[in-house]
Amino acid sequence: MAPHGILLALLLVLSCLSQTSYGIVLFSSLKDSLFVTASHTENQVLKAGIDKLTVSWGLNQSYEAGTDSTFKTIKVKLCFAPVSQVDRGWRKTVDKLAMDKTCLFKIVERAYTSNKSNDSFDWIIKRDVPGATYFVRAYAFNAAGQEVAYGQTTDAKKTANLFVVEGITGRHLSLDIASVVFSAFSVLSLAGFFIAEKRRAKSS
Amino acid sequence: MEVENRVMEPGSPKFALPVDSDHKATEFRLFSIAKPHMRAFHLSWFSFFLCFVSSFAAPPLIPIIRDNLNLTASDIGNAGIASVSGAVFARIAMGTACDLFGPRLASASLILLTAPAVYFTAIASSPMSFLLVRFFTGFSLATFVSTQFWMSSMFSPPVVGTANGVAGGWGNLGGGATQLIMPVVFGFIRDIGAVKFTAWRIAFFIPALFQTLSAFAILIFGQDMPDGNFYGLHKSGEKPKDKFSSVFYHGVTNYRGWILALTYGYCFGVELAVDNIIAEYFYDRFDLKLHTAGMIAASFGLANIVSRPGGGILSDVVAKKFGMRGRLWTLWVVQTTGGVLCVILGRVNSLVGSIVVMILFSVFVQGACGLTFGVVPFVSRRSLGVISGMTGGGGNVGAVLTQLIFFKGSKYSKETGITLMGIMIICCTLPMTLIYFPQWGGMFCGPSKNKATEEDYYMSEWSSKEKDKGFHQASVKFAENSRSERGKSDSVTRPSDEISPPHV
Repeated sequence: MAPHGILLALLLVLSCLSQTSYGIVLFSSLKDSLFVTASHTENQVLKAGIDKLTVSWGLNQSYEAGTDSTFKTIKVKLCFAPVSQVDRGWRKTVDKLAMDKTCLFKIVERAYTSNKSNDSFDWIIKRDVPGATYFVRAYAFNAAGQEVAYGQTTDAKKTANLFVVEGITGRHLSLDIASVVFSAFSVLSLAGFFIAEKRRAKSS
Repeated sequence: MEVENRVMEPGSPKFALPVDSDHKATEFRLFSIAKPHMRAFHLSWFSFFLCFVSSFAAPPLIPIIRDNLNLTASDIGNAGIASVSGAVFARIAMGTACDLFGPRLASASLILLTAPAVYFTAIASSPMSFLLVRFFTGFSLATFVSTQFWMSSMFSPPVVGTANGVAGGWGNLGGGATQLIMPVVFGFIRDIGAVKFTAWRIAFFIPALFQTLSAFAILIFGQDMPDGNFYGLHKSGEKPKDKFSSVFYHGVTNYRGWILALTYGYCFGVELAVDNIIAEYFYDRFDLKLHTAGMIAASFGLANIVSRPGGGILSDVVAKKFGMRGRLWTLWVVQTTGGVLCVILGRVNSLVGSIVVMILFSVFVQGACGLTFGVVPFVSRRSLGVISGMTGGGGNVGAVLTQLIFFKGSKYSKETGITLMGIMIICCTLPMTLIYFPQWGGMFCGPSKNKATEEDYYMSEWSSKEKDKGFHQASVKFAENSRSERGKSDSVTRPSDEISPPHV
């Protein structure tokens, strides 16, 4: 196992080094040049797999017209509100965007068109979205695939205009029944063995 | 002249392996399934392996479970501690049950009674229910005790360390194997078409079913002792039925059991604690992908395939020349070296260095586990189960304590926690110097000058009334066979051997 481990580790180190040569993008360096809205009301509860969310985005009009010259693609993402990040290090917000775990779910990815004032998308919340409190954020990427701007439905503190997704339980009646049946079978078969042993010992 | 251990009694040609006067095998043949010895070995290690798979089936699927059940880091940490704390008392109870009812019934009962907890994991719906299923599933780790008891009942002193070490090590392997098995099973079920949050639930049926089937195999194919099952032997009068209070008393009043419980907490307990935190450690400290960190974590547990058996084999090899004193010294050296490597692991800053040190650390710490159970079979004959249970339970106490002190919350960074854990290993291994057997000696002292014999030691566990009834016969045989623990230089009969031991 050791020589494989060392080889794997070497490959990892090399790949990490190659990534850093592309430059590190920090969230704090981005301007909120995008304007993003979503169709939910404040603190509305939406069901995963059932309810629909309409998101729309475009250039933030308070910025001058040429700001979007570098925008190539837009990725709209579902992001965790701070209340859902408490005591959950795997959803941590860090400034280095490559390491940031705030926005883990992609809603839509579209090429950016500067002609339309607003682009929009109807999204049925996927069934594997966990139950939590969210907001929507869009990132604008340049031709090199780096983030150059963002926009979000909430304020800078991420406390306003949030909504809740109620995740699926993943449970089914058939699973419940199977669990109970198999458990009962285990316990009863143990009792059965004991009785059989006693009978065999008595007869011998 | 060395005491002849391989007396071929008339009427005992029925065993496939060579046996001693107790009908315990004097050889360990890994690739045989001859009954009853090797069959018991394969049944016990495999069922123990499956219990480990079940108990640690959740950690590799945590990224999915935590989203489904909305768990926080504290919930996950508490469930991890719960999973190893149930076994503390379960192991002691199991030890007593083995002494009274035999390892076959004791282990099969526990496995079938904990299987429901694994089935119910599939319907867990909150942090509390998740913690409860992990807690009750963890009870199945008490099958470790029945494994060691069964091996100590089937294999003779010269090979008991090897048998215990391989059975224990290949069982512990389950903790590493599950990190590879569960993600594959989950992936397969999800690819068939189940949604993520349902697929992990279905996946838990696999370890649960295998666990149930292994219990059936033990009940159908297993046998407690070379001569038969406890129940049959009790009825025929060959084996007297023992009293719980006496068995328990002679176990807990033997100070060596307590010292071994403490030291085992700092090899096996440390191993369990590391199983729970090592993936996260590599993920956070070296910015690895979770998948990669998981593979490194698995390799720590997978080292058990050779390192724990290696410890057991080493114990037997050293005992051939140096007897029990050799076993004790080797255990102390290996475990202390493990502690030193643990201190280094926390200080190494490079990824490659960390992996190398971690693998060395795993070899020494798991080897120490194997070496410990080269000593345990000799501490008591009457209360073998209770001593095994105390030691095993001590291991889990060590796991709980270590995680509580060093790895809960953010008091210490993980690397500081690891270094401090290493220092604690070194300190808590020192009490081993206090273990002393009058007939063989301890680390610093030789055998007692007062002509102490193995018979004296093992007979002291029986009252004169019990001896009159002949209850102590098994201990007499064991005492004879354990003369090999004197080591080679001491194989010349001592003056005390001129007096023939009391044979009723």
